Amino acid sequence: MIDLVQNMLDGLAIGSAYGLLALGFTLIFGVMRRLNMAFGSSILVGIFAGAWLHGQWAAGMIPIFAATVAGAVVASAYVERMSFAWIRGDAALASMASSFAIWMQLEELVARAFPQRSYAFPTFEALPMLELGPFFLRPEHAAMFLTAAVLVAALHWLLTRTLFGLRVRTLSDSRDAARVSGVDVGRVAVLTFGLAAAIGGVAGFLIAATDGQISTKLGMWATMKGLIAMVIGGLGSLRGALVGGLVLGVVEAQAQWYLGASGREICTFALLFAALILLPQGLVGRKDTLARAEAVRRI
Amino acid sequence: MDFYLGLAQIFGVHTLLGLSAYVVLLTGQVSMAQAGFYAIGAYTAGAMTAMFGLHILPAIVIAGLVSAAIACIVGFPALRVKGLMLVVATLAFGEMVRLFFFNLTWQVERNGDRVGPNGAEGFRSIRYFPENGWEVWHVTVFIWFVVVVVMGALWWMDRTRAGAVLRAVGHDETAAQSIGLNLTAVKVGAMTAGGFIAGLGGGIYAHTVTHIEHGVFGVLLATFAIAYPILGGLGSVFGTLIAVLFIQGFLIEGLRFMGEWRSLLFGALIVLAMNLRPHGLLGEHAPRLKNLFGAGPARPSDPLSTKEAK
Repeated sequence: MIDLVQNMLDGLAIGSAYGLLALGFTLIFGVMRRLNMAFGSSILVGIFAGAWLHGQWAAGMIPIFAATVAGAVVASAYVERMSFAWIRGDAALASMASSFAIWMQLEELVARAFPQRSYAFPTFEALPMLELGPFFLRPEHAAMFLTAAVLVAALHWLLTRTLFGLRVRTLSDSRDAARVSGVDVGRVAVLTFGLAAAIGGVAGFLIAATDGQISTKLGMWATMKGLIAMVIGGLGSLRGALVGGLVLGVVEAQAQWYLGASGREICTFALLFAALILLPQGLVGRKDTLARAEAVRRI
Repeated sequence: MDFYLGLAQIFGVHTLLGLSAYVVLLTGQVSMAQAGFYAIGAYTAGAMTAMFGLHILPAIVIAGLVSAAIACIVGFPALRVKGLMLVVATLAFGEMVRLFFFNLTWQVERNGDRVGPNGAEGFRSIRYFPENGWEVWHVTVFIWFVVVVVMGALWWMDRTRAGAVLRAVGHDETAAQSIGLNLTAVKVGAMTAGGFIAGLGGGIYAHTVTHIEHGVFGVLLATFAIAYPILGGLGSVFGTLIAVLFIQGFLIEGLRFMGEWRSLLFGALIVLAMNLRPHGLLGEHAPRLKNLFGAGPARPSDPLSTKEAK
């Protein structure tokens, strides 16, 4: 029983990072209606920028955090130009194929610049372990959970209380309506893309700081986890993305404990497959099913 | 010389992989499960020859049939979802297949050796070709014979009612349904055909490399599989072939002399190609000779074009 609850705690923490990845995906998908296969590799660029700062000058946590987010945003801006802005609006598959090409390009770039198998990333060692009765909460997990909560609250405020948020929501409801009502579609899309990359960068930083070491595999890993969490929760819903991330985190933590590493992987994909088949609308986000269904018809 | 024959073998199996995704994509479904079917084919055919001593031909046909059967079973539930959800569902299936082979250990005693899949280590010594005295060029000719047969079959299919039906579903499901097409049958049929072709390709692949392991059949391979028909265009089977030659031949092998710059150019060239030809290198429609000499009749758009969310 104690194990079960302890796993739950760990799962919720890592799940909040998955939730952030899924939020990034949801934002991009919302305004672009296209799949960005290079999302994880832009985060990868950010993480390695942070690791470089760490290895080169042993910088503190805050500059490393800034470098990670900045790296992810810069790489993402490049992805946006190459695979989205310059490709015609009706060719969604072309965007997918070229974001795939950019994914390979970014990953190869990082692998060239950092030829070792893995690199060290600073952790939150200095912080003490939190004890809650019989349970332990690792400081990095607490940081993950808190950061995710703050970010989600800020994002919610941004999307529901500001003009920019209104524009983003208009754009994701209907591109044509947004254009007609005077929204600068291209600009809002770029900004949203950057915002998504920044959120992804934060998630990447938290994950890297928890693991303490990073490799180039992290890029594809982040893409997969983000996609899975987004789809479990329900496409196009921010709440869904977060719920999906938490569910995925908890299931993974429990499966890891009871079934081992390869059991965890199989469990993840089985969960995903089942979620898609049984609940195609996701756990959350049934409200605007019709509009979404139409939008999701094509990537 | 052997080097170039080896390259031709790689092009051949990748063309089969690309064609398997092409058939499914014709109905408007983006399937990332093709690498999974390819893996099933590879392990099945490997088991048939290395463990049970079958001839290569029945082995790859059995591999194709097993993959097709599994594709058919996966096709039904996968139909419940569309677009991005289908991408992720098929991705999940592909990864499940990979993890299955990662954990599969099943070896038999043969000629004093233990052969068969051995978990993470993979499936070693699928040595049908060397054991039976096939030379490199024999294998290359064999592979391209299979490729030509499959391409010919698909090309012919495109000229029959079946091709029109697939394209109709890919173009507009609602319209296709309203003229009485059975969407489920069409989509599952396309998935099954794709599974068969991927199984053939995987079966041949296993024999050309003699050692297969789960890591090869990951998301990367699945993405390559779907990238070929997207890059080549859905106009005809030759689009996929050209895309394979472009990616494998030109971008990966041809640019090897560029050294470190190759990977950068790889991405840039694909992005350039997709910008200039958003509907694929060969475009949306099968090139026809008469169109070279003047404007052909106006044609409807194809499944690659997407309608923006209204």
